[in-house]
Amino acid sequence: MNAFILFFVVLIPCIGGVLTAVIPWKKRTHMLVFLEGLVIANSVLVWLLLFHPPQEMFTMINLTGNLTLAFKLDGLGSIFAGLVSFLWPLATLYAFEYMTKEEHEKVFFMFYTVTYGVTLGIALADNIVTMYCFYELLTLVTVPLVMHTLTREAILASRKYLYYSIGGAAFAFIGMIFILIYGESPDFILGGVLDAAKLGEGTNVFLLIYVLAFFGFGVKAAVCPFNSWLPQAGVAPTPVTALLHAVAVVKSGAFAIMRLTYYCFGADFLRGTWAQYLVMAVVMFTIVYGCSMALKETHLKRRLAFSTISNLSYILFGVVIMTPLGLVGALSHMVFHAFMKICSFFCAGAVMHQTERHYIHQLDGLGRKMPRVFAVFTLSALALMGVPGLCGFISKWNLAAAAIDSGNVLAYFGIGTLLISALLTAIYMLTIVVRAYFPGADFDYSKIADIRDPNWQMLLPLFVFVIGIVGFGLCSAPVTELFLSIAQGGF
Amino acid sequence: MEIIRNFPCLSILLAMFSAIISSALKGKGARWLNTFVIIVVGALSAAALYMTMTTGESYVYVMGHVPAPFGNEIRFGSLEPGVALFFCVIMLLSLNGGRKKLLLEIDPGKENLYYIMVDLLLSSLLALVYTNDLFTAYVFVEINTIAACGLIMITERGRTIEAAARYMIMSLLGSGLFLIGICLLYDMTGHLLMSYIRVSIEDIVASGMYHAPLLVTIALIVVGLAIKSALFPFHAWLPDAYGYSTVSSAAMLSSLVSKGYIFLLIKLIYRVIGFDTFLNSRIINVLFVFGLAGMIMGSISAIRENDIRRMISFSSVAQIGYIYMGFGLGTSAGMVASIFHILSHAATKSLLFVSGVGLTDVSGGHKEFVELTGSGYRNVAAGIAFMVGSLSMVGIPAFSGFISKLLFAQAAVQHNQFAKLLPTLIVLAVSTVLNTIYFMKTVIRIYTPTGGTSYVAPGNARHEDQKYASVSIKENPLYVITLLCFIILNIILGMCSQPITDWITQGLSVFA
Amino acid sequence: MDYILLLPVVFPILAGIILLLKKEYQKRTTLLVSVGIVLLLTGGLAFGGIFLAEEGITAFYLTRTLPIFFKVDTLGGFFAGIVTVVWILAGFFSFEYMKHEKNEKRYYGFYLIIFGILIGLGFAGNLITMYLFYEFMTLASMPLVLHSQTREAVMAGLKYLFFSFAGAYMALFGIYFICHYGATLEFAGKGVIPASVLSEHSTLFLVVTMLMLIGFGVKAGMFPLHAWLPTAHPVAPGPASAALSGVIVKAGVLAVIRVVYQMIGVEFLRGTWVQTVWMTLALITVFMGSLLAFREPVLKKRLAYSTVSQLSYILFGLAVMEPEAMSGALLHAAAHAFIKVALFLCAAAIIYQTGCKRVEELRGIGRGMPVTLWCYTIVSLGLIGIPPASGFVSKWHLAVGALHSGIPVFSWLGPVVLLVSALLTAGYLLPITMQGFFPGEHYDASRFEHKEPSVLMLVPLLILAAMTILIGIMPGILTGALDAFAGWVM
Repeated sequence: MNAFILFFVVLIPCIGGVLTAVIPWKKRTHMLVFLEGLVIANSVLVWLLLFHPPQEMFTMINLTGNLTLAFKLDGLGSIFAGLVSFLWPLATLYAFEYMTKEEHEKVFFMFYTVTYGVTLGIALADNIVTMYCFYELLTLVTVPLVMHTLTREAILASRKYLYYSIGGAAFAFIGMIFILIYGESPDFILGGVLDAAKLGEGTNVFLLIYVLAFFGFGVKAAVCPFNSWLPQAGVAPTPVTALLHAVAVVKSGAFAIMRLTYYCFGADFLRGTWAQYLVMAVVMFTIVYGCSMALKETHLKRRLAFSTISNLSYILFGVVIMTPLGLVGALSHMVFHAFMKICSFFCAGAVMHQTERHYIHQLDGLGRKMPRVFAVFTLSALALMGVPGLCGFISKWNLAAAAIDSGNVLAYFGIGTLLISALLTAIYMLTIVVRAYFPGADFDYSKIADIRDPNWQMLLPLFVFVIGIVGFGLCSAPVTELFLSIAQGGF
Repeated sequence: MEIIRNFPCLSILLAMFSAIISSALKGKGARWLNTFVIIVVGALSAAALYMTMTTGESYVYVMGHVPAPFGNEIRFGSLEPGVALFFCVIMLLSLNGGRKKLLLEIDPGKENLYYIMVDLLLSSLLALVYTNDLFTAYVFVEINTIAACGLIMITERGRTIEAAARYMIMSLLGSGLFLIGICLLYDMTGHLLMSYIRVSIEDIVASGMYHAPLLVTIALIVVGLAIKSALFPFHAWLPDAYGYSTVSSAAMLSSLVSKGYIFLLIKLIYRVIGFDTFLNSRIINVLFVFGLAGMIMGSISAIRENDIRRMISFSSVAQIGYIYMGFGLGTSAGMVASIFHILSHAATKSLLFVSGVGLTDVSGGHKEFVELTGSGYRNVAAGIAFMVGSLSMVGIPAFSGFISKLLFAQAAVQHNQFAKLLPTLIVLAVSTVLNTIYFMKTVIRIYTPTGGTSYVAPGNARHEDQKYASVSIKENPLYVITLLCFIILNIILGMCSQPITDWITQGLSVFA
Repeated sequence: MDYILLLPVVFPILAGIILLLKKEYQKRTTLLVSVGIVLLLTGGLAFGGIFLAEEGITAFYLTRTLPIFFKVDTLGGFFAGIVTVVWILAGFFSFEYMKHEKNEKRYYGFYLIIFGILIGLGFAGNLITMYLFYEFMTLASMPLVLHSQTREAVMAGLKYLFFSFAGAYMALFGIYFICHYGATLEFAGKGVIPASVLSEHSTLFLVVTMLMLIGFGVKAGMFPLHAWLPTAHPVAPGPASAALSGVIVKAGVLAVIRVVYQMIGVEFLRGTWVQTVWMTLALITVFMGSLLAFREPVLKKRLAYSTVSQLSYILFGLAVMEPEAMSGALLHAAAHAFIKVALFLCAAAIIYQTGCKRVEELRGIGRGMPVTLWCYTIVSLGLIGIPPASGFVSKWHLAVGALHSGIPVFSWLGPVVLLVSALLTAGYLLPITMQGFFPGEHYDASRFEHKEPSVLMLVPLLILAAMTILIGIMPGILTGALDAFAGWVM
């Protein structure tokens, strides 16, 4: 396989997205067929790459000195790329139906598709410079998506998103420079690239830089106290909130932190230092904070957004355990949470699309009228809680196993945090479910008589996700072992 | 090749004579002559650059055959002609971008006066870049000041007169301090030619005499030039001067005039005072601190500003802070970063000024943000250009700002003192955040449709109300081409920075 | 491979799901006949599994290290047996009772699902399988609690859910550690964690055990997380509260035995602060539950409080960590299951026939519903512990075991508290009998005339009452196996 294809899969969606906006489509369907075909083709290409990974890397351009934009497929990247390329076609399909009620479709689909390419760019980046560039680019191409409705609320949200993201990147930038100067190479190498000889006396400075960079990338992963953009960004159309703010964008943040921790600074260097304890404490706090805020929230999508905040910190908790097993836990939660959260967001979107209801107290009795959607929602809620047999349980299990294995006492408390959060998750998710199915004995069903399940374009993705949730939950051994081999550098 | 040695001197003279000729020409003629001169000077500088790059040496051009150490000299390595070329490019683009606006803003018949000033400005800038003589430098500093004042108040309306007066007073204060500094230097060393002064200063430092006077001299020179280049906290004159003058003037003032002084300062540091002597004086730390403070305070002022032009002006204060911070690091990497930032900032800031005026023009001439709502749709080219400029300022990869930020950060990381390393990095990051806030706020503002908060129902296709007319690309092709050139220049600086940094490094090595 | 173990688990669950999804079962007779067949068939399969299976079967792997594994041991078979008997009886009882409730189909659907889950819980051969069914049990039983959909019921359902999950997650914390340090996940005799690990991390494991005790104790209504029980049990439909109070609470006991005895091992715990705290909590609960029941005017709530108290008899028996006390505790679990189901079914029958919910309304009820009240009286005597009913034997073993244990203070304090509580039990159960049969001379009990329920309700009651007597007379049929089990784990 030619390494050029690595660049190609990043490029195709970008070009395709722009084409979508430029071509004067005669009928909407044509545009949709074109887009879906493009996205599916690209995903197929990505999966082909995953199964036949090219060994060499593809160098795109040299900015200056050792700043090279290059792509390479390694284990960690292939997980993220595989995840994204699996979800994107489904989300696009869902978006077709959803966007019938929104304006400026073409612009929307342009940026939506370009984001696909940019996200793949992050996944396939060979070195920290490339990742940083695509990381910044990701911010820029997703801002129009957040702004999409152009309401005052959306404008404020996008502004905040922009400030936070670019501000975070500015701190991540510092980390990048350190890696460039003090690393043996800018490429990602499992175990870290720091050159021990150059480190000298300044270990504490390096730890400080790590912490800064952690929070820098952590902005996208919504680490407390830099999380307030995420719930606000929920004003975007649901395909965006579901795919970008539950998977692509926020997971890019988590992914970048994985790269930073395991592939740049090196877990061995960081383990047991004050930096580890600091970030772990923050992550644990975020886990609980996100859940508590979700509990307070009455707006359905914002509640899910807060839930995302907490779940992202699950991933980061795995990362900051800083052992291979920790990475396994983080990776499994990254993948599984993507399925669970996109699923619940799509259900929320389906409800909003069919009923124009946004608040939880408006959901009374809908369980009977939209049985399929709410069945799926219930399942995703149970998965998020970590009920055994569904995928959420497996990822929590892996995280807890890693925490115990690390022997770090703070990580023991982290397990407790995970469980407290699981309880809070149960509360904030199941109250929705109970409300939808058990609206009360005297509930008048005639009020919601004309509400029904959405059409197949919305339901199909949901069912695929359900298969994922249950499938991974019942039979996770192959994936977990794949993660393990990646974390140990075998792949 | 021999003839190329004459080019620097020739280009200075060419610019001066064109100013004199312009006074006899009508507006249109002066304009063409000016354009011609800039192009010729650019070509001459390019030739000189080519020569110096191939040989890798620096040349001394003795004027009037009076031998050193008494005569007047021009000296150039590869750095000087490159900077001169770059200045020409920016000047040409800035003038083209504001050409149409200029005609509307100044009284008829005064156009030639404007181009006289521009010619003078060019010649003084070239002289500042090339000269090897302190007194010549001083003379051209003054010429520069006068030309700049003329450029500011040429429109003669609103607050421009006041702004020009303010600029004049502050500038003269700066040049006064600078002059005293030169006098003291002359007193101590007995020379006016830069290379000779440094030799004497090295002796003085070695002998341990004149410690205090030397320090005072350095301080005077540095503060004098800092006032003129609007280093925080001496920036009070800047927002008015840039904010109310005509757009070409503002673009040139921010990207060229202040940069000329900074270039002169670099020259003084390397060629007169000596880098090591400068490094050992405490002035460098003062510059460092002022630079950092400027980075933050300039941005904060910009955030609080409600006028797009003044916001861009305050942003200059922050960017000048970056440059001085680079000096303050006291390493050659920091110096390279500063010089790169001079170029990058010049390219970006003039782009912002020029595109900003395009946006205000389609908003009824208002400069307040409220009125600018949706202007990015009304003038598409200006909108895109402004966005590019903003992204570059924020430091997004692929644009020039990213590379300068990168160079600064690398210089800081390689610094061996943690006392300078950490503050630099953190202020760099914080300043990026602040930059993001005011630039991205503006970008989002210009892409927010007017008509406000409500969601327009399907059917009402376009929802900008027709409060202000739109401008199509075809109406002002020169303007659009100018913007395009600016954008390309910015991207070249951002994507192909390696040769440029190599050139700067090489130029610095033969600079002293 | 014992596939027979999978059948009684999977079959009712599938049947329940089909019942929920299918629209055809709107006709009542079809519904009842099919539910009846499923119940009986599952019962047969369950007993088949209990007596025939030997080896166990691994259904599949969650991850490489987490098999879903089924195997029947004494405890599991014992639990599954109780479940099967109670479930079939209460199921037939509800055929009549559920006539006046809405959404019957949903009720039976979940009823069958829980049946399968509970059998799965009994048959679970390792910790993770048990945890899986434990969580499923909570989720599936919630719809029964909030069946009536009144605001009170919904709130009670949520309370039930959140307490249960809080407990389950506390337990999960411990399970993580056990799985990491344990040699195996399968239930063993005397713990699976190597002694060296235990001694090295003793504080950790004590804390973990305590958390698991409190966590699983939630289901068993142990103080301090018992508050859900008196709220949730009474709001469910009659047969459902019987099942909840009689059987599902025992799942907590089962889990405690599995974890404390079979995973951690009592050797490690005996004499530690964990044991002391555990016994203290159990005794507090015993006393407090009885006292609250004594003061409670609503019949079903009174019975729920009684459950709180009785369950802690069992937990106290386990906390003593003596073989005799343990077999007493297990016997009490069986006895209490039948008794409490019978009591709740009596209450359900009374509510169904007369609509009376409060104790003082039941004066003179013996006139109209003599059979029901007789059954009530017999099982009440069992609960109080009067021979020859079952409660006497189990409490006897409990008390003897406690006295033998030689633990300071608790060896005599325990029996004393048990006795006081027994008195209170008599105080809150028997007045209903007395006032029912002897309302006083001038009391007009004519409104209760001819209110005796139908055969479908009476037969389960009679069977349960008979079983109470049977266990009391011939405890040997159970104690033999239970003693052996107690000996195995200690």
